[in-house]
Amino acid sequence: MEKKDLTIAMIGSGGDGVVSAGELITSAAALEGLYCFLLKSFGPQIRGGESSSKVRLSPEEIFSHGDLVDVLVVFNWEDFGRFRTEYPLAANAIILSEENDKTSMEDIPIENVESYQMINIPFKKLAVEEAGSPLSKNIVMLGILSQFFNLPVRGLESAIRRRFSKKKESIIESNIGALQIGIDWARKADQNDFPQFQYTSAESKIMLSGNDAIGLGALYAGLDFFAGYPITPSSEIMEMMGRELPRYGGRMVQVEDEIAAIGMVIGASFAGKKAMSATSGPGVSLMSEMIGLAAIAELPIVLVSAMRVGPSTGIPTKTTQGDLQQALYGTHGDAPRVVIAPSDVEDCFDVAVEAFYIAEKYQLPVLIMTDQYLGQRVETIPKECLYEEGDARGFIRRYHRDLPDAEALKDYVRYAPSDNGVSPITHPGVEGGQYQAAGIEHTDNGWPTSELDILERNNEKRFSKFEYIRRELNFSRHYGPDEAEIGIITWGSMKGAVKEAVQEMTKQGKSVSAFIPQVIYPIDHEQVEDFIARNKKILVVETSFTAQFYKYLRSHIDIPIDKIRLHKAPIGMPARVGSIIDKIEEVLSEHE
Amino acid sequence: MSTNNASDTVELKAKDYKSGLKPVWCPGCGDFGVLNAVTRALANLQIQPHKVAAVSGIGCSSRLPGYLNTYGFNAVHGRALPIASGVKLANGDTTVLAVGGDGDGISIGGGHFSHAARRNIDMTYILMDNRIYGLTKGQGSPTTELGVTTKTTAYGSFEAPLNPAMLAIAYEASFVARALANDMKHLVRVLEEAIEHRGFSFVQVFSRCVTFRGEDQFMDWKDKVKWLCEEGHDTSNRLEAIRIAEEPTMDKMGILYRDSRPTWCDHYQEVRKRAMQGKVEYAIDDLTDSFRP
Repeated sequence: MEKKDLTIAMIGSGGDGVVSAGELITSAAALEGLYCFLLKSFGPQIRGGESSSKVRLSPEEIFSHGDLVDVLVVFNWEDFGRFRTEYPLAANAIILSEENDKTSMEDIPIENVESYQMINIPFKKLAVEEAGSPLSKNIVMLGILSQFFNLPVRGLESAIRRRFSKKKESIIESNIGALQIGIDWARKADQNDFPQFQYTSAESKIMLSGNDAIGLGALYAGLDFFAGYPITPSSEIMEMMGRELPRYGGRMVQVEDEIAAIGMVIGASFAGKKAMSATSGPGVSLMSEMIGLAAIAELPIVLVSAMRVGPSTGIPTKTTQGDLQQALYGTHGDAPRVVIAPSDVEDCFDVAVEAFYIAEKYQLPVLIMTDQYLGQRVETIPKECLYEEGDARGFIRRYHRDLPDAEALKDYVRYAPSDNGVSPITHPGVEGGQYQAAGIEHTDNGWPTSELDILERNNEKRFSKFEYIRRELNFSRHYGPDEAEIGIITWGSMKGAVKEAVQEMTKQGKSVSAFIPQVIYPIDHEQVEDFIARNKKILVVETSFTAQFYKYLRSHIDIPIDKIRLHKAPIGMPARVGSIIDKIEEVLSEHE
Repeated sequence: MSTNNASDTVELKAKDYKSGLKPVWCPGCGDFGVLNAVTRALANLQIQPHKVAAVSGIGCSSRLPGYLNTYGFNAVHGRALPIASGVKLANGDTTVLAVGGDGDGISIGGGHFSHAARRNIDMTYILMDNRIYGLTKGQGSPTTELGVTTKTTAYGSFEAPLNPAMLAIAYEASFVARALANDMKHLVRVLEEAIEHRGFSFVQVFSRCVTFRGEDQFMDWKDKVKWLCEEGHDTSNRLEAIRIAEEPTMDKMGILYRDSRPTWCDHYQEVRKRAMQGKVEYAIDDLTDSFRP
C-alpha cells in the first residue's frame, strides 16, 4: 500500500530523544523537498518527564498537522497515557512498541481503534548492545522507520550529520552507525505489509517555526530594537533576537518584566527606531497600560502575543485563541491599536513585515496574534515563499519613517491634524523637532490639556487612521466557491484545518467556502458583509470558550442570527480537520 | 559623555532650555529649583536641546520635561526608567534624563530602579524626593518618615521609609549623589557631574512640598548639611558611601559614590563583535539559510 500523506507520532520520556527524532525527520523532509509539519508536546517537567513529537509528511502541500496518527512509536506506555487525547490513531495504524516495556495488553491506553497492528521492537536492546549507548535509541528507531515506511535514508543521514556537526567525528559516526543498525534490523524483520510513503524528491526547503518566521520577518522589516521577558510559547523570538539582532546592527535587552519590555520598546520608538517585543497573554496583561500610552502618544510599536491557555497561568504549553479580546480591547480608555493575525508559518513572516509597515506608517501599536500551535510548530517551506533574492515579493512592503523637511521643522507641530490622522514625527537628535510625547491628553504640540473639545478632536484624529488602514490593509484569504451553502469565517492558526476541511468538502461535492481576514482590527467590514451575503449560512470557527471572535464579529457587523453558526474547536489542541467537517455536515443537514 | 557639542556660534543660556510652558507647581515648590538647576547644568555643559531627552512618569515632579525645550516624554506612572533606557539604547547620542518623584520611582516604579541601575545605561536619574504624594493631594509615600501623619497615615506612618541613595548603591548604580533643591550652586554642580558621568547616575534631590509637608520641609537643611566634596570623601569607596548613605540624619550631601565601570553600550560593542564572528556584514539570507536542513 502506498501513502502520500503520513503522520508519525513518537512518545517517550525525556532522554528518549523523541523530540530530536521528530526534528531529524523534519530535516530529512526539508532536504528532500517534502512538505512537513512538526509538533512537539511536553509534560510540565523542565527535564525528563514525558515528551512527544508528531510529524506529518507529504510531497504535496499540506496545511494542517494531521488529525490522526498512522504510525505510533511508544518507548513507554505510561508516558503515552498522558498524551493519549492528543494522539488519536487512524484506522489500521501501526504501533511500534518498546519490547522492554512490560505494560500488559489490557493496560495499554488505546481506545476507539477498530484495528491496529502492534509489533514489539527491542529499541533499547539494539541501542545498548549493538549501537553501544542507550542514548542512540531514537536514532536506531529512525533507521527502523525508514525501512518500514520508506522514509528518506539519505536525508536522515544528512540530518544526523548536520545535527551533530559541532561534535566529535566519532559521535557523528556512532550515530550514523546506530541508524544503520536500525536499518539492518528492519530489513531482517521483513515487514512488507506496512504502508509505504510515496514521494519524489524536490528542491530542498527551509524549516521554520512560526516564532522563527516572525523573527526573520521583523529583521527583514528592519527591526532595530527588541526588549522582552521570557515566556512560553514566545521566548524563541527573544532568543533569536539575542543572537541575531547584534549582527544586523540592532540591540536586544532582556528586561525585568513585560512592563519594562513595552516601556523600552516605546522609548526606542520615540528615539526613532523600529522596535518590538514578543510575549504571551500574561505578558500582554502587564503591558496593557502602555498599549494605551503608545496609542495616545502615537508611537509605532509591534507586539507579538503567542496565545496559550489562560486565564492566569492556565496551561502555558497548550494552544488557544482566547486572548483575542485582550488584544482588541485591553487597556483603559479609547485606545486605537491594530490586531493582525498570521495564519501559518510562511504568513508569520509576511505579517511581521506588514506589522511594521502599519505601525510605522500609522504611528500606533500593532499586535501580532499567534498561538502555541503556530509559534512553536515547524513547517518546511520553499525559501522563495518568504522573499526572492533579498527583494520583497509584490505585496510585502517595508516602511521607513520620513522626517519632516527643514521647512516643515520651522513651525513643527508634532500632533498637527491631517486627513488620515497621521502627523509628522521626529526623534531626539533632530534639530527643531523637539516635542513632548505624553500619556496625558495633549494639545497639538504635546502640552498637557484637560480641555474637552481637544479631547474629542484628538479621539477623532487617532481613530481616523482606522478607515485608511482598513482600506489599505485588507488582505484576506478565500477558499471554495464564490457562493456556497456554508461560508466559514475564521482567523489566525485555524486557517490550516479550515482550508483542508473546505478542500475535502469540495472533493465530496459539497458547497463550502471560507474567508480568513489577516487584519482582525480594524476589520474590513465591507469584505465580511459581502462574504456573508454570498453564503447561505455562516459558520464561525475558533478556539475560545467564550467565543470571542464570534462576539467580535457580531458586535461589528450585522449578521442575521438565524444565519450564523458557531464551532468552538476544543481548547488546548491544534485544530482538527475532522471536527470542522463534522460541524459542517451538521449545519448542512439543517437544510435537508 | 561629550560635553563640547554646542553649535559653533551661539552660546546656549539656561533660558534656552525652557519651553515657556508655565509650571503647574505650587508657589514655593522645590521642583522649581530642580528645573532651574537642570537648565543651568545643561547650559554649562552646552548640550544642545535637541540632543536631550527628558523622560518622566507621573507626579508633580514628573511634569518637569514639559517645561524644557528639549525632547520630552511625560509617560505613565512609574515607567520613566524603562522608557528612558529604551531611548538611550536606541539613540546613543542623546543625553537622557529620567526625572520623577519618590512615589513614581521608589513605589510603583521600584522594580525598574534596580535593573536600570545594574545595567549601567548612560543616563541620569533625578529623583525629586518630597516624602509625600503631592499630585494626588497628600498621601504617604515610601520615603515618608516614621510617625508622620498624612491623608493615608492618619495615625502616623509606621512602615519603614526607604532610603533611595542607599538603594541606588545596593543596586549597582555607578554614580550616586544627594542634593538640595534650595541649594542651587551645589545642585547645579552635582547635576553637571551626574550628566557627565558615563553610566547610570542617580541624584536624590530633597525637594520640599509646601502644600502637604509644610513651608519649612528641608529648608533648614541648607545650613546644616556638609558637602562631601569639602570633606575629603573618597567617592570610589563603596563601603564608606554605604556608611554615609545610611546615617539617619542624612546630613551629608554631594557625590557619595562613583565608579567608572563599562556601560551597557560598552558591553554591547563586545557582544556585537562576538556575534559577527569575523564577518563584516550579515544579510538576511545568512539568517534564512541557517534554517536550511
